[in-house]
Amino acid sequence: MNKYVTQFKGIGQYGIFMAFVVVCLLLSFTTSKFLTVSNWTIIITQVSINALLAFGVTFVIITGGIDLSLGSIMAVTGVAAASLAHPDTYPVIVPLVIGLLAGVAMGALNGLVITKSKVPPFIVTLGMMTIGRGLALILSKGRPVSNLSDSFNFIGGGNVAGIPFPIIVLIISFIVCSVVLKKTILGRYIYAVGGNEQAAKASGIRVNKVKMAVYTICGGLAALAGILLTSRITTGQPNAGVGFELDAIAAAIIGGTSTSGGTGTMTGTLIGALLIGVISNGLDLLNVTSYYQQVVMGAIIIGAVVLDSWNQKTT
Amino acid sequence: MKRIYVGLIVSALLVGCGQTNEKEQGDGAKKLTVGVTMLSMQNEFIVKVSDEIDKKAQELGVELITVDAERSALKQIEQVESFIAQKVDVIIMNPCEVEASSPAVTKALAAKIPIINVNSATSAKPTAFVGSDDVESGRIAMKFIAEKLGGKGNVFMMHGFMGQAAQIQREQGAREILKQYPNLKLVAHQTGEWDRAKSMSLMENWIQSYGKDINAVFAQNDEMGMGAVNALTAAGMKDKVIVVSIDAIPDALQAVKKGTLDATVFQNAEQQGAKAIETAVKIAKGQAYEKEVLIPFQLVTKENVGTFMK
Repeated sequence: MNKYVTQFKGIGQYGIFMAFVVVCLLLSFTTSKFLTVSNWTIIITQVSINALLAFGVTFVIITGGIDLSLGSIMAVTGVAAASLAHPDTYPVIVPLVIGLLAGVAMGALNGLVITKSKVPPFIVTLGMMTIGRGLALILSKGRPVSNLSDSFNFIGGGNVAGIPFPIIVLIISFIVCSVVLKKTILGRYIYAVGGNEQAAKASGIRVNKVKMAVYTICGGLAALAGILLTSRITTGQPNAGVGFELDAIAAAIIGGTSTSGGTGTMTGTLIGALLIGVISNGLDLLNVTSYYQQVVMGAIIIGAVVLDSWNQKTT
Repeated sequence: MKRIYVGLIVSALLVGCGQTNEKEQGDGAKKLTVGVTMLSMQNEFIVKVSDEIDKKAQELGVELITVDAERSALKQIEQVESFIAQKVDVIIMNPCEVEASSPAVTKALAAKIPIINVNSATSAKPTAFVGSDDVESGRIAMKFIAEKLGGKGNVFMMHGFMGQAAQIQREQGAREILKQYPNLKLVAHQTGEWDRAKSMSLMENWIQSYGKDINAVFAQNDEMGMGAVNALTAAGMKDKVIVVSIDAIPDALQAVKKGTLDATVFQNAEQQGAKAIETAVKIAKGQAYEKEVLIPFQLVTKENVGTFMK
């Protein structure tokens, strides 16, 4: 009996993983198109943008914060990068660096206002969401920026040794983010701040610096996601990324990141993002009507989290 | 302190009145004022309509007050209320929603101010309507597919946001044509939410699911059409699948010219804007006007794309 309980505890930690496996199994029984290499290549490519955003917001949520400006940061980055990425103008590194800097700067500004003013992150990033959308419209004069160079379009549409480039970006980002969170001092501080801010302060952690860091990282990852998106759809659009932050936050929370702070892993978030991607892909493959898709998607998200919370209780 | 504010407001009002008086005396006749509320100045097409209204208004010597409803029907109603309070001569409204923007029409008419709907309709009947019949654009697009496929094949349709007037009407038009061709099968239809990235993912998923069985794709706007083209090109299938969409945005025209997008349907923003303000002036001057000005859609293919590019 005792042995059984310990075994169950072991599984409990992987509640979301189990939910993911169950959904995948169900889909592979219902459609033969699901479990193929080409389909999975597509799923992971599609997931990469949301996963990058979700990695960023995982850092933020672990500290007990939230970032609602991700979609707008993507749009600013995308438009800024696209306007520098026309053929025969600048080498491709220029739009990349400027785009990333734009995102990092907006993230840092979020962090600065949050730490200096003590206004809740929800409000500050909500404001940044609107500011960012406005900036994107100003930069682009309200029109999509198209006609981008082939080398820029490679980022979202190219292959390296048969692997789509977004997947490579995803893997590298996942490894870097996991290492930062698990193996570095910053990572430990991030958990400490989210677990108990007062205690963290008392033990000498410079809480404001940690918060600055997470919002800046989050901005940078949103910028990377924005560049991937722009390159994938081969235009910089001022209204790109509307609502993307919600999918990213959903991925993090499905993956076990607690909104009250202090817990969460990058692996969980990755699986959360994959789960959302797999469901959306599977419903398309099964040709489920648009109306039902939304209902099914919402139900599965709630179901996954409920399953996870049950498992956590038994642990 | 309060007194200063009151003083300021009163003097502002006086100055305002003074100006209108001057104008009336100066021009001999009163200069027409038209209030314009547009659905969203973040939408490329709407911005074009609005620009044309501006241009034509200057030609006709009409004073414009243009505001952006930012896709909110509630905001739009408030804007129309403020036009009524300002006693404009005519209101031009680009409605946000069929039902929710209707009270604006009713209120304007109750205040005896003529109101013209441009581009899309409301359920309440305005003084005049200027725009295009979206059902027709769906018919044109699907007809092109039917002819290209010789009336036989598997068709896929990408919807806009479900429940919006444009989505409902474009779907209706497409389905009317599908009924005439029993061998044209609508295999799957799904929303791409008017969005290029979403539709690219949707197309990729369809390619996985149906592969070589896909003969044609009808996307209800160009953004989605471009997404489908991107996905089909990446899968090396573009030359075997026909893609048609609606709106004729610059990107889509480029794609038609290159031959990646097979056709798009041109909705004439300039004509809609110009006719709207022309109708407004006719109504204000008590001249005869048409209650419904329908601007025709045009099919854009590789053969005639040059005439639509600037």
